[in-house]
Amino acid sequence: MHKVYEFPKSREAFAHACEVIPSGIYGHQGPAEGCYIPIEAFPLYSQKAQGSYLWDLDGNRFIDYMCAYGPNILGYNDPDVDEAAARQRAISDCTTLPNPIMIDFADLLVDTVASADWAFFAKNGNDATSGAVMCARAHTHRKKIVFFKGYYHGVSPWTQKIDYAGVIPEDVENNIYVDWNNYDQLAQAFEDNKDEIAAVIAQPYMHGNFADNTFPAKDFWAKVRKLCDNAGTVLIVDDVRAGFRMDLAGSDHYFGFEADLICFCKALANGYNVSAICGKKHMMNAMSSLAFTGSYWMSAVPFAAGIACIEKMKRINCPQLLIDKGQMLKDGLLATAKKYDYDLHVTGIPSLFYLRIADDLSLMLHQEWVAECVKRGIFITNHHNHFINASLSDEDIKETIEIADEAFSIIKERHS
Amino acid sequence: MDAKTLAYINLNAILGSIPRLCEMVPEAKKLIEGKDVSIGFDVKDGPAATLVFKDGKCSFVEGVNNCDVKLPFSSPEKFNGLIDGTTTPIPSKGFTKIGFLLKNFTKLTDILTNYLQPEPSALKDPKFFETSTILMFHLIVEALAQIGNHDDIGKFSASYITDGAIKVAIGDGPAAAIDAKNHVLKAIHEDPGDNYTSCMEFKDIRVARDLFDGNINAVASIGQGKVRIRGMISQVDNVNRILDRVALYLT
Repeated sequence: MHKVYEFPKSREAFAHACEVIPSGIYGHQGPAEGCYIPIEAFPLYSQKAQGSYLWDLDGNRFIDYMCAYGPNILGYNDPDVDEAAARQRAISDCTTLPNPIMIDFADLLVDTVASADWAFFAKNGNDATSGAVMCARAHTHRKKIVFFKGYYHGVSPWTQKIDYAGVIPEDVENNIYVDWNNYDQLAQAFEDNKDEIAAVIAQPYMHGNFADNTFPAKDFWAKVRKLCDNAGTVLIVDDVRAGFRMDLAGSDHYFGFEADLICFCKALANGYNVSAICGKKHMMNAMSSLAFTGSYWMSAVPFAAGIACIEKMKRINCPQLLIDKGQMLKDGLLATAKKYDYDLHVTGIPSLFYLRIADDLSLMLHQEWVAECVKRGIFITNHHNHFINASLSDEDIKETIEIADEAFSIIKERHS
Repeated sequence: MDAKTLAYINLNAILGSIPRLCEMVPEAKKLIEGKDVSIGFDVKDGPAATLVFKDGKCSFVEGVNNCDVKLPFSSPEKFNGLIDGTTTPIPSKGFTKIGFLLKNFTKLTDILTNYLQPEPSALKDPKFFETSTILMFHLIVEALAQIGNHDDIGKFSASYITDGAIKVAIGDGPAAAIDAKNHVLKAIHEDPGDNYTSCMEFKDIRVARDLFDGNINAVASIGQGKVRIRGMISQVDNVNRILDRVALYLT
């Protein structure tokens, strides 16, 4: 039996935080949006992290399958990345004139990402997707953007929906929503909005929350690519979440097509804050025309970290390594669930797996199981996909499956 | 703010609170003792419903087919004027029972206003506080359903709500549910028992009141365990987006 964790220091810190920070911890890393159900089962703050582990404020150690929601791809505090960053920090970081390491990083991305002829840097995934949409509009002189329902492309008003707090109808009036994998519906949207659609923006496969993740139907991307070409519409792939966990050459490459613009962030520099838009040659002028920048967008340290991260990912063939580790975990979890006669769904690419116990459509059973796992040292969340990192060991996977087994036995007994 | 949606809220949620008021508040109950009369509210291009007072009880029924006193309104705006006190209704039938409308019913609505828009000092009385909060709880649940069915942005939120019941409850108080079917919402003013697909529960009546009054934040409250959510969270998420609009209509 594994120790059941308690989190008094996290609670105390959160109570204080609520006095001075709106909602204590806002956004996806907060307990509300993060779906920490029940709240008592989850820690709220970390003390330190190393490799695949994070320790919470109460000193409890977790095998972390959220990986900071993606950035941790090589392991927390990866020595090669940290050393490169430290070397650059000793030289310069945020300066009046950018350091030429920026060019080295762009060169590396152009050499690595199949559809990239150039690279543009920012800080967050939201910067990258916003820049890509602006670029598409500048290139086409059109307004409308097509989204696939279940999408997540960041938090700027254009990415949100009309009923979100702080969003006004004008922010989203040029958004068109179609069902994922429904080519006919997409084609109809193009027909209904002839010469008006600037871009289609999409994740490489549907890895939204609250539902099993879904790969593209056969030929879906080839048909979408052709539709965009015929209509003069820009095809944007948002690879912020899946990037480098499927294919180092980009997730469009994995699925056999080329995006006009592709957005990266999370895994780009193993936690150092940089994001990138990569694009085809014909989009470069439009990108150059944008008034789009930020105070820290040309900081040199994250560029050095990004170079070290990509070089290491290439050396260890990172996507395949992560897929193999994810597959081992997936097989173990499925076998354990079957032992207790639970219908566990593990969907998406194994390096970016999504979990759902399908026996109870309300998902309350799933939430109970996740809570029992978290209380025993596996950090997973209820309704978001998870992330594998390269430092995850076979022993970590074994321990994860043991804890998952214990959690299944607890909910089985509770409901028998 | 959409006048038609407001009319649905004013009729179904505000006037729809009168049966509960008559159950919970002795002063209101006394006003309807021995009365046998029904008042119909008929809003052109809007809602229609009847308040029936009989055997010391009040009930709320849809439509105006069997009412004694009928109050027609030529538009949602005119009906909304009745609630904010800028329109004086003229009955189209039932003149012999107009005394109830002018005296007892007016007093009932005054009492209702006291409970729904209470003076801060009145809330110091624990019984008043509890009654006022429970009335508000049901009013908000009903308003939520009406906004999800009639307001354009509310309908957008409802279009993302999958079928099932969303339980809304106060830990030491009442429970209700929003039943969603084909993206149409119906308020159920009783505990759904185990028949729900998601749940949002306020820790106690104080937390509920503080949330209703905007004194505490719902997102922070989830982190603090004062508000608990479980089940199909996408339902709760979209209900909360509609809830955000309830404040707009009820302010």
